[in-house]
Amino acid sequence: MGFEHLANALTLTNLALALFGVVAGTVIGSIPGLSATMAVAVLVPITFSMAPASALILLGAIYTGAIYGGAYSAILLNTPGTPSAIGTTFDGYPMAKRGDGDLAVAIACYASVFGGMIGALALLLLAPPLSSVALAFGPVEYLWLSIFGLSLIASLSTGNVLKGLAGGALGMLLSCVGVAEISADIRLTFGVSTMIGGIEVVGALIGLYCIPVLIDLVATPERHLKVEQGVRAVRFREAALIAWRSRLNLLRSSVIGTVIGILPGAGGSVAGLVAYSEAKRTARPDQKFGDGEPDGIMATESANNATVGGGFIPTLVLGIPGTPPDAVILGALLVQGVRTGPTLFDGGGSIVYTFIFGLFIATILMLPTGLLIGRYAYKTIVTIPKTILVPAVGFMTIIGTFAIRNSISDVIIMIVLGSVGWVLSRFGFAASPIVLGLILGPIAEQGFVQAWIIGDATGNLTGMFFGRPISLAIIAFTILSLVYPIIQGRRAKRILATQANSND
Amino acid sequence: MIETTAKTGRKDVGTLIIASLFIGLGLITLYDVTTYSDSDSVVFPSFVAYALIFCSVLVIIYSWLKPNPHNGFGSGDWWRRFLLVASMLAACLAMPLSGFLPATAIAFAGGLIAARHEGWDGRSAIIFALSGVFIMAGFYSLFRFALGVPLP
Repeated sequence: MGFEHLANALTLTNLALALFGVVAGTVIGSIPGLSATMAVAVLVPITFSMAPASALILLGAIYTGAIYGGAYSAILLNTPGTPSAIGTTFDGYPMAKRGDGDLAVAIACYASVFGGMIGALALLLLAPPLSSVALAFGPVEYLWLSIFGLSLIASLSTGNVLKGLAGGALGMLLSCVGVAEISADIRLTFGVSTMIGGIEVVGALIGLYCIPVLIDLVATPERHLKVEQGVRAVRFREAALIAWRSRLNLLRSSVIGTVIGILPGAGGSVAGLVAYSEAKRTARPDQKFGDGEPDGIMATESANNATVGGGFIPTLVLGIPGTPPDAVILGALLVQGVRTGPTLFDGGGSIVYTFIFGLFIATILMLPTGLLIGRYAYKTIVTIPKTILVPAVGFMTIIGTFAIRNSISDVIIMIVLGSVGWVLSRFGFAASPIVLGLILGPIAEQGFVQAWIIGDATGNLTGMFFGRPISLAIIAFTILSLVYPIIQGRRAKRILATQANSND
Repeated sequence: MIETTAKTGRKDVGTLIIASLFIGLGLITLYDVTTYSDSDSVVFPSFVAYALIFCSVLVIIYSWLKPNPHNGFGSGDWWRRFLLVASMLAACLAMPLSGFLPATAIAFAGGLIAARHEGWDGRSAIIFALSGVFIMAGFYSLFRFALGVPLP
């Protein structure tokens, strides 16, 4: 690593590619149904004729821009543009509804840039040692990681934990529909051929988050978002101040995002939700997560953008893609004849370090472009009449869901799930636990079955599930995340009681 | 005061029905797993089905003892909600026969009518129809030609 790599990254061509990548990624990521994976996959062919370092910079910029772009629709339409932005909807949309959508978009931009920088810094300084973390994770660790993720239901269930747990179980049951991954049994289709493909997660996300909003929007004549009087510029100073005050949250969430990004298969959605849960767990008593708390947006957005750098660590060092877009990028690198592995950092160091500096540049470029695009996205959504917004968003949900697998069945499932989700939400069954179950169900099942088979074959089932150090650490974290809110609640009650007594 | 008391005393019937449906879903799953050939496919859905049934039973008990008076469908026009969902589903059914754009025009028109509360006149109808054509053509072009999605 040296100055020449930075200079290579700063050539006019690479700068232009980084800028184009960030803008294209942000726009594609903001459209519900077009995920970061799709953004990267669609634009991969144009990199084949480029130098490997330039191709990597473009793909990395598209990826990082798309992850951030998902925040726009999450904040302004309550529909995560990418699965990574699920957690952004929890506080982003309430902020937009009360007239602070522009502030939420600016906060998301700062958090994304910060998270992206931390992820890239980890890639630059710690890639080879951190990649060993990915190798240390076996099936049973994934099982416990998914159970840790499911324990977040307790914090994601607004109001009623029991309903949250039932929703989580429903989500896991929905994840079983279709062909079983390990044994190829056809499950829960009840003879309906359109169900054999299973329930596509992104389509389900669009349905569960977007359709209920549309159903509510058409029912009453009220405006979709509150509009403040007077034209305001981007509230970047206010957002910067809020971000600075929550720097610890930003740092913690970025580290969580980087570490989860390293784990193959976990991805930005899991990282964002874990970081959100941690931010909520450590919140001050006056912070109301789920009602438009800026810290919720910051936690999710910094974590999901940190997975970009984190995901590149196993991709480049081990040749194991950390996240789905990394798999596409890995394919593009193989087409170009670049062999990933530890030697890439020695023999081909110029490519990889030029790329890492390029990733830094792309992340920095996300700040002005993100704020600028965010401003116009906010103004467009706020000023557009509801009469045209509803059918336009409805059209986007159909075309976006269809584009994932070119399947009309997916669109029908999306609409039905969305309508059912609306009914459930009216009776206190939130969408987030269902989505969490849907995402983590396959990871948990695969981990469980594989660990069971290995444990059974080695004659040590107990040791397999409870005897590995990383598993034990994750189990401890799971118990802590379940028990800590109860202890915290009791402590808060005790403090209040003490204060009341002293006042008397 | 009387109204509040009545509201608090009301049973949360919607929650009870939903939780009962969840129990039914769990039981159907437990029946379905008996048809699987490999035991590896059975363990996870069975466990989840039991979890769903258990949680739903607890939801029923809790809702029976402590009903939430705020649960319910609330106010709003039902015909608009139905029109929106029905037009989107109709678009999906029409898609294989008519192609993507004519089919989604049904959904767009349905959404447009459902979302318009201010009443219609000739001018607004033309403006919104033209805006719809522009939006649909724009996104169709993006997905069909720029992103290469094989839209029917």
